[in-house]
Amino acid sequence: MTTVVQYLLSGLAIGGIYALVALGFHIMWSSAKAVNFAHGDTLMIGGLLAVYLLAAGLPLGLACLVAILAGGLFGLVLERVAVRPFLGQQGSVGWMLTTIAVGIMVESFATIQTQGYARPLPSPGIASSVHILGAGVYPQELVIPLVALIAMFGLRALQRHTLVGRAMRAVAHNKNAAALMGINVNFVVAFSFALAGLLGAAAGVLVAPVVQASAAMGVLPGLKGFAVAIIGGITSAPGVVITGLAYGVMEKFVEGYISTAAREIIGFSLMILTLLVFPQGLFGKREVMKV
Amino acid sequence: MRHLTLLGFLALAAILVAVPLASSNEYELRLFMLFLIYGIIAVGLNVLVGLTGLVSLGQAGLFALGSYTGAILATRAGFDMISASLVAALVAGLFGVLLAYPTVRVRGVYLAVVTIAFGLIVENVAIEWQSLTGGTTGITSIPSPNVFGMRLSGYAFYCVLAVFLFLATAAAHNLKVSRYGRAMRAVSQSEIAARALGVDATGLRTLAFVAAAVTAGLAGTFYAFLNSYISPDIFTFSDSVRFLLMVILGGAASTFGPVLGAYILTYLPEYLQEFAVWQKFAYGALLLVVMFVMPRGIMGSLAYGLKRLRPAPRAVAACEGLPADGTLRREAREQKSELVARDLTVRFGGLTALNKASLRVKPGEVHALIGPNGAGKSTFVNTISGFYQPTEGAFELDGIQLAGKRSHEIARVGLSRTFQNTELFSDMSVLENVMVGYQQRLGYGLVSALLRTSDMRRQESECRRAAIGLLTFVGLEDYANEEARFLPFGLQRRLEIARALAARPRLLLLDEPAAGLTTQEIDELEVMIRRIAALGVSVLLIEHHVELIMAVADTVTVLDYGQVIASDTPSVVQDDPRVIEAYFGTSLDHAKAEA
Repeated sequence: MTTVVQYLLSGLAIGGIYALVALGFHIMWSSAKAVNFAHGDTLMIGGLLAVYLLAAGLPLGLACLVAILAGGLFGLVLERVAVRPFLGQQGSVGWMLTTIAVGIMVESFATIQTQGYARPLPSPGIASSVHILGAGVYPQELVIPLVALIAMFGLRALQRHTLVGRAMRAVAHNKNAAALMGINVNFVVAFSFALAGLLGAAAGVLVAPVVQASAAMGVLPGLKGFAVAIIGGITSAPGVVITGLAYGVMEKFVEGYISTAAREIIGFSLMILTLLVFPQGLFGKREVMKV
Repeated sequence: MRHLTLLGFLALAAILVAVPLASSNEYELRLFMLFLIYGIIAVGLNVLVGLTGLVSLGQAGLFALGSYTGAILATRAGFDMISASLVAALVAGLFGVLLAYPTVRVRGVYLAVVTIAFGLIVENVAIEWQSLTGGTTGITSIPSPNVFGMRLSGYAFYCVLAVFLFLATAAAHNLKVSRYGRAMRAVSQSEIAARALGVDATGLRTLAFVAAAVTAGLAGTFYAFLNSYISPDIFTFSDSVRFLLMVILGGAASTFGPVLGAYILTYLPEYLQEFAVWQKFAYGALLLVVMFVMPRGIMGSLAYGLKRLRPAPRAVAACEGLPADGTLRREAREQKSELVARDLTVRFGGLTALNKASLRVKPGEVHALIGPNGAGKSTFVNTISGFYQPTEGAFELDGIQLAGKRSHEIARVGLSRTFQNTELFSDMSVLENVMVGYQQRLGYGLVSALLRTSDMRRQESECRRAAIGLLTFVGLEDYANEEARFLPFGLQRRLEIARALAARPRLLLLDEPAAGLTTQEIDELEVMIRRIAALGVSVLLIEHHVELIMAVADTVTVLDYGQVIASDTPSVVQDDPRVIEAYFGTSLDHAKAEA
């Protein structure tokens, strides 16, 4: 029983990270029909920058805030520099390769700066663990899935009640019609990438105290975040968040009862299986081919 | 261009022969052999990236899969190098199908993610399955290269690799200029139009990925024999990026680009040694620079420059073409061309776009479908061409049930269409556009395409001549070698008609063909529609232009709010009170009474 609760709680924590990353993919895809393939690196930027800023003497809260804002800036700049020039082209090779290229550069730069070492990020959330039904978890871990849910509801509120949010929905629905209604599509796309970057960096700041910050910390969450977006249906925000949480829990159980390697094998096989059975993901809408 | 390709192959052969003679030591030759192996991977990957515009970031995984398969077969089962490599290629190809098919039918973008994940799976399996793969220590004691029990000398092994690279390059080139390559490029430029011409987009994308997988698997086994030792950490994500970079840098879709790219990126690390930790950064930066400065890659840029210096003549001689009426004629017994739609209903959520619409296009007639905006015309067209699925009802062409079939299957039965917003393969030449339309009538298979058999060449030449004939039919022979996107709008519409005709349709569906045309162009269109119908092709015309409809249509069907409200000859429909009400909001009598 204790083990089950333990796996469940730690699974929800890592699942919350996947959910935040996947939500970013959802936001970018909705507005641009393109994503930032270096999105996993925003996680790393958030986590590592918080560590460095803290070491430079900033208070923890401020360090985390600046790190998160830097992630948003990264998304914004990347959209402008690497994605937008290629959006008009047929196919997706252009923005995929440029964002991948930037990702490789950022990551290898971080590897050089950190010399490959992981850095701890102290946080009051890991000062002491709490016990729930015999399972020990850090308060930090309990906060992560909550943040993911808040982000999901926050996004919904943004899209319902603000002008820019409504513009995002309009652009997601039909870019040309939105442009004709006077919506600045470029701005909406840039805003979406920035928002996704903020969420990614926030995930990094949240997870860094638990797993330590390192240059490679964003690689797997980035990839799994996309896998979650595919499984949940990249067009559905609640879909990807719920799937993210479930995916994290699934991982912990597989890891606990079988092995770490089996975790990746089963997880990614699930993704391919889902594509086979539910091409649009579990919660995704079918995008009607516009003829 | 063709002479240049031949010259290129001769040069490649000469280099492959000359290098071992010139290399002074074992190390130099070994490095060159590594290049040959990378070249094989890059040539295969180019089919995927260059022709279908999809990206794989898991080639290292497939390379590893091939390596392990070959090494295990050689060490455990005593396979020789060639048979081990062929089995490895087969295994990699099977995994290629498993990965690509579910993925590419949804979104091409997903393939990148799925392949990255696959790379991770291979790595984890290699680590975990110790009894088979030796875990982290890997597989040592791979025998020296051998064929049918004979041990190969270093030079003989070199020859095997050189022959494989040469053959792979030739096969990839042959594929590119065949109906497969042409259809792959078409799919990457307009999936909708390709499907509407009977091209199975998912099948072709899967085929392209399998080509990339097979070559990676093959190269993997060669690598295992060259290195005589493999372990999981040899195959990294960076390698996948490097393989991709080889294709992009050399020139995606060009014949020799990937080979050149592989050469540069095999030798570059030798010079980048001093960069040490910055090496990976340099790869990223190089990829970024290539994407912005030279997106066509080296060979692509050279070809582009050459084309601008010495442009090919824009026109082709009309006398080369086969007469269009011969191309379009079907045998008398199958010449019926009758479309029957019964009670078609299409609902989008709560909206009923089509409500029990029935329509019959009689053999050989020009049938116009009209109706106010939002009446359901486009829904009808997109339903009978397979892009939407009807909620209820059925439709058939010459007795063949079509409801539930996918668009490319419907196209193959004999329904061709044009598009309201033209959907051309914009980077392909005008002639190639029409040749894609001819696609389903080419009967040669994949093997003939790879070998460029005489049968394949004969069929291709016939396809080309038929396409020229159709271009002459619509008056575009003077633009044959122009890229489709440079055509003026009116000519683009004509090209769409020629392309649709190339499929030899029973029914031609024209979706607002007069929109955006000048008066004179509309007159020409009218003549063309008559000529097409005279050849026995039924025409379903969706149009707003009343004069055109009155002039060419034998029957007019009027849709309003998703329902058929009239279907008769133009003159009868013109006076139908319900039609007048649909268009003007009130019936004529009513209006008179009020006046």
